[in-house]
Amino acid sequence: MSTKTKNIVEHLFRNEYGKLVAILTRIFGASHIQLAEDIVQDTLISAMDEWSKNGVPNNPEGWLMQVAKRKVLNELKRNKMKREHHAILKDHTPDEIGTVFLEDEIRDSQLRMIFTCCHPDLNTESQISLILKTLCGFCVKEVAHALLATESTINKRLYRAKTTIRESNLAFEIPKGKELEKRLETVLLTMYLLFNEGYNSSSGNDIIRKDLCLEAVRLTKLLSTHFSDNKKISALLALMCFHIARFDSRIDNQGGIVLFEDQDRNLWNKEMIGIGMGYLRSSLDDSSLSSYHLEASIAAEHCMAESFEKTNWNNLKKLYILLQRFKSNALIHLNLAIIESKLKGYEVSLEMLKKLESENELKNYHLLPATQGIFNMKTGNYKKAIGYLEKALKLKPSAAEKEFIENKIQECRESLLS
Amino acid sequence: MQEFLLILKGDGMNHLSPDELQKTMDHCSDWINDMGEQYLGGQRLEDNGAYIGSKDAEVKTDGPFLEAKEIIAGYFKVHAKDQEEAVQIARRSPFLDLYTIEVRPIASSKM
Repeated sequence: MSTKTKNIVEHLFRNEYGKLVAILTRIFGASHIQLAEDIVQDTLISAMDEWSKNGVPNNPEGWLMQVAKRKVLNELKRNKMKREHHAILKDHTPDEIGTVFLEDEIRDSQLRMIFTCCHPDLNTESQISLILKTLCGFCVKEVAHALLATESTINKRLYRAKTTIRESNLAFEIPKGKELEKRLETVLLTMYLLFNEGYNSSSGNDIIRKDLCLEAVRLTKLLSTHFSDNKKISALLALMCFHIARFDSRIDNQGGIVLFEDQDRNLWNKEMIGIGMGYLRSSLDDSSLSSYHLEASIAAEHCMAESFEKTNWNNLKKLYILLQRFKSNALIHLNLAIIESKLKGYEVSLEMLKKLESENELKNYHLLPATQGIFNMKTGNYKKAIGYLEKALKLKPSAAEKEFIENKIQECRESLLS
Repeated sequence: MQEFLLILKGDGMNHLSPDELQKTMDHCSDWINDMGEQYLGGQRLEDNGAYIGSKDAEVKTDGPFLEAKEIIAGYFKVHAKDQEEAVQIARRSPFLDLYTIEVRPIASSKM
C-alpha cells in the first residue's frame, strides 16, 4: 500500500478552511462562527486521518465538502431544539442545505463573510485578525505571528469580535443600496491595511508576510468578481500588483533591506506589473477617483521608470499633492519632502524634513530621522547624520531596519576617520 | 512478533492550523508507509459519545467527560518484535508533540 499525500495543492487545507467556514456560517448564522470553525477543523482532521491511511481521493475539495455537510447535518440533528437559532433553517429543510455547497454559492458565502468580518462596530485590528482566522485559515498562533502580537492578545481580540457580532445581530449578508457603499468602503480599507500589514513591516518572517499580501489580493479579487464595475476595487488591485512585483527586490540575500534607489529592477516581476497596468487602466473613468487610484498611479510611475534616475519626479509630486485631497497625513508630507530632494536638492529637502519634526504623527516614526540621516550622509554631513540615525534607532525600527541603520552609522564613522 | 496498541490521548490536532494539519498528514502517510507490513490499522474516535460510570449511575452522553489531555483521540495497531520496537515506532510518528501515546502490548493467549 502506498499513499501519497504530498501531491495535493499547497495550502489546500488552508484555502478550503476559509471556504467551508464561510459556508457553514451561512447555515448557522453569523452568531455561530465558532461552531462553524469547530466543525471545519474536525472535517480537516478527518481528512488528515483518512487520507494519510488510504490516499487522497480524486476530488479532495468535494470530499471535504461532503464530510463537512454530513457533520453539519449531524450537528443539526443533535441540536434540534436550537433550530430556530440557525439562520438558514427558517426557510430551508435540512435536505435543501446542500444547495449552499454549490460553486456560485461558495463565493457568495465568502463575500458575506468578508462583510461580516469588516463589521462596522469592530476596529481595524479586530477585523484583520478575524479575516485571517476565518477567511484565510490561519490559526491563532499564525495570526499572532503575522500581526506581531501575542497569542493571548489575538485570542481575546477574536473572542470579543465574535461576541460583538453575535450581540449586534447583524445579518450574514452582502449589504445593499446606500448601506453597501458605506460598508464596501470599510471592506476596501481593511483589505488595503491587511496588504500593508504584510508589505510594510519588514520584521518577522518574510514568507508569512508575503502570505498576508497574497491573501489580501485573493479576497480583493473575490470582491472584484462580484462588484465588477467598481473602479476603486480595480485601483486597489493595481496598487497591490505593483507592490507585489517589487517584493523580492526589497531584501538582499542576507535578509537585509535594500533601499528603493538601490533595488535591482531586473528582479521586479514584469508580468505582475503588466497585470497591474491592466487593472489600473480598467479603474479609470470620468467619475471615480480615489486614494487607491492615486497610490496605484504613484506605484505605476515607479514601476514604469527605467531606472531610479529616470523617475518622473514631477509627476510623482503632482500625484502626491492630489493624494493629499483624499487623505491628509504626515506620511504624504514626508514623501513630498523626499521627492523635493530630487527636484530641488537635498538642502531644500532637509529643511522640509526639519519642519516635519514637530508633526505629531511623525514624532515617533523612525523613518523621518532615518531619512534625515541618509540625506545628511549624501551631503557629507556625517556628524549630523550619525545624530539622526541614532535617533532613528531609539524609535523601535524592525530588526532588519535596525541592522541597516547601524551599518549606515558605521559608514559615517569610517568616512569621518578617512 | 507481537501486536501493540498505540493509544493517543489528548486534543492536540484541534489546535493545529490547516497548514500544520496538512504537513502532519504528509508526515503521517510517510510514517505509515515506512512501517509497511508492521502497520495493522488505526482509527480515530469522535470527541463525543457516552460515558457509563456504574450500573446505577446516569449515562452521560455528548461529552466530553474528561479533561482534554485524557480524551482518547484514537489508536493505531502495529506489529513489533518487542515493546522497545513498538516504542520506537511511536516515537517516529507525527503525533508525539500533539498527544501522549500509550504503547500497550495486546494480550495473547498463545503466549
